[in-house]
Amino acid sequence: MKLTKPPSPERIEETQQPLSLFQIRDKNEWLPEATPTSDILKAAARGSVGEEGYYGVPMLKRPLWHWHIALYFFFEGVSAGAFLLASLADLFGGGQLRKLSRAGYTVSFLSILPCPPLLIADLGVPSKFHHMLRIFKPSSPMNLGAWSLAAYSIPLQMITLQHLAADTEIFPKAIQRLLLRLVPERLAGILGIPCALLMVSYPGVLLSTTSTPVWSRTRLLGALFSSSSMATGAAATSLALALAESVDHRAISKMEKIERLASLCEGVALAGYLITTGKAARPLLKGRYVWHIFLAGSAVAAQLLLPAKPARKRKRGLMSSLLRSALTLAGGLALKWAIVYAGRKSAEDPQAARDASRPSKAAPGWNKARR
Amino acid sequence: MIDELVNVFSRPQPPAQKQEMGFFTDTTLCIGCKACEVACKQWNQLPADGFHWTGYSFDNTVTLSDTTWRHVAFVEQLDGEAGRNRWLMMSDVCKHCAAAPCQEACPTGSLIYNEFGDVYVQQDICNGCGYCVAACPFGGMARNPGEGRAHKCTLCYDRQKDGMEPACAKACPTDSILFGPVEQLREHARERVERLHERGQPDAYLYGAEPAGEYSALNAFFLLMDKPAVYNLPEAPRRPAAHMKTNYLFSFAAALGLAAASAFFFAKGEK
Repeated sequence: MKLTKPPSPERIEETQQPLSLFQIRDKNEWLPEATPTSDILKAAARGSVGEEGYYGVPMLKRPLWHWHIALYFFFEGVSAGAFLLASLADLFGGGQLRKLSRAGYTVSFLSILPCPPLLIADLGVPSKFHHMLRIFKPSSPMNLGAWSLAAYSIPLQMITLQHLAADTEIFPKAIQRLLLRLVPERLAGILGIPCALLMVSYPGVLLSTTSTPVWSRTRLLGALFSSSSMATGAAATSLALALAESVDHRAISKMEKIERLASLCEGVALAGYLITTGKAARPLLKGRYVWHIFLAGSAVAAQLLLPAKPARKRKRGLMSSLLRSALTLAGGLALKWAIVYAGRKSAEDPQAARDASRPSKAAPGWNKARR
Repeated sequence: MIDELVNVFSRPQPPAQKQEMGFFTDTTLCIGCKACEVACKQWNQLPADGFHWTGYSFDNTVTLSDTTWRHVAFVEQLDGEAGRNRWLMMSDVCKHCAAAPCQEACPTGSLIYNEFGDVYVQQDICNGCGYCVAACPFGGMARNPGEGRAHKCTLCYDRQKDGMEPACAKACPTDSILFGPVEQLREHARERVERLHERGQPDAYLYGAEPAGEYSALNAFFLLMDKPAVYNLPEAPRRPAAHMKTNYLFSFAAALGLAAASAFFFAKGEK
């Protein structure tokens, strides 16, 4: 029998044909560390033999989402929050908040840019990203989210194109004229509002609609994400306003109030989320993610405790406003990062999974064992 | 040609609904031979999972995964005082829930109930988003790290289409794995539990034969001898989507409230 050397892993990755499962697992055989079993064995709690459960092997599979999705939740929250504020400022500001609305739309457009690449890179088969829009299935928050992202991007792009046409010379004259005349900015803003509301609302619900204990024990994760998104959207808009050439102190003072209110809402939702999650919240309250939560909490505290100055006396207080907004942005990112990563830790903990599936009135279960 | 162009978005008729088929896994008959694991791997051309000695009794596959669709659990119970030493074995498999959380979660429509009432991943549609992996309360769904799609037991859809029983049930030497119409299996399973109780095995009970509150019945259900946790099964799985509406409600309330307050601040003049 002649032994042939298996092709190198790089060679297999280069092959044009779709690989069969068998070829791919062969690759993992040379890299036994990469097999799912070894992964799960690593997660199994050593020394738990004899305790309740099965050799400490996790009951649930670890969610596969990591930094792509954490960053996506942050950026789409900033974008949708800023869009909501920009369109509302345009509608209700009576023409005096043009600058605010402009800044909001700009923030919104810039922060939505990384979102599609992040989402697509996270997929197991990125080339099939468009299958998300193959059906409309509102009962799946991820499907609804994909549709709302697609719908949201249309008014946002229309408004951005119009702003570009108004401010720059990058379009040919005819197209510039067309864009300036034909795009109804206010109407696009109004049409974008429901999409933006969906965009801030769905990520928390998406995480909640799983079996991962730290996400699914509560009904407040959606509210936590939506209020955090509003707070970060407002913070990013006020940063953009404060860094503009001529600072509109009146608009900044309005934004400050909104930031405070959103932070208050975020703080309440965070406390409610941690309380209702109970023991399953352990990955957030112990270990490295406690610092993330601490940062998010301090951002809320900074917004609420530092005194705001009335607009007339503001000129010197700009620095504190800037710092506060930056802290809110950092806190929002830390919060979403921690919650996404805590899901992985939570699913690896068989005890948390067992505690989360104890019989209740709504789900009595099938356990009829006598012991 | 014209017909194809006109009907480019029309979908073919789904196959006619057949009788619901499922598994009944009777753990009291399992002898831990792992013939089901091997038959499954052979029929579905699933690769080996590497070579690990775990030290967990005879269990070296540890869990269901993208390439292990039948997994035999081994539980050694040594209870010297009561004089009851047991070696429990259980062939675990995708539960094919009648209302499956993975199917509810799937954003692409890749996960479907096929004409036999079983949960099936359409590989040409799955884009590997990973939502089903997080949704499954049994940890039965996994994504292949190489080619990126979700995989799990298909209940041998291909064999069923040809009127054959799944490979694991065919290979099982003790009929611990039974395949058949779910209603008949449930009837048989209830009789089996009664018979075991009569013969002095009062521990026996059915796991997943009927709905439990918000969670549906399982089309692949089990006869167990100890607490579900002993076999790494959840005692009372919850339907992940049960609180989705309340969650949306709070979420929208927060967003709408903040938006309304912002509109008020914007409309209000400077004090």
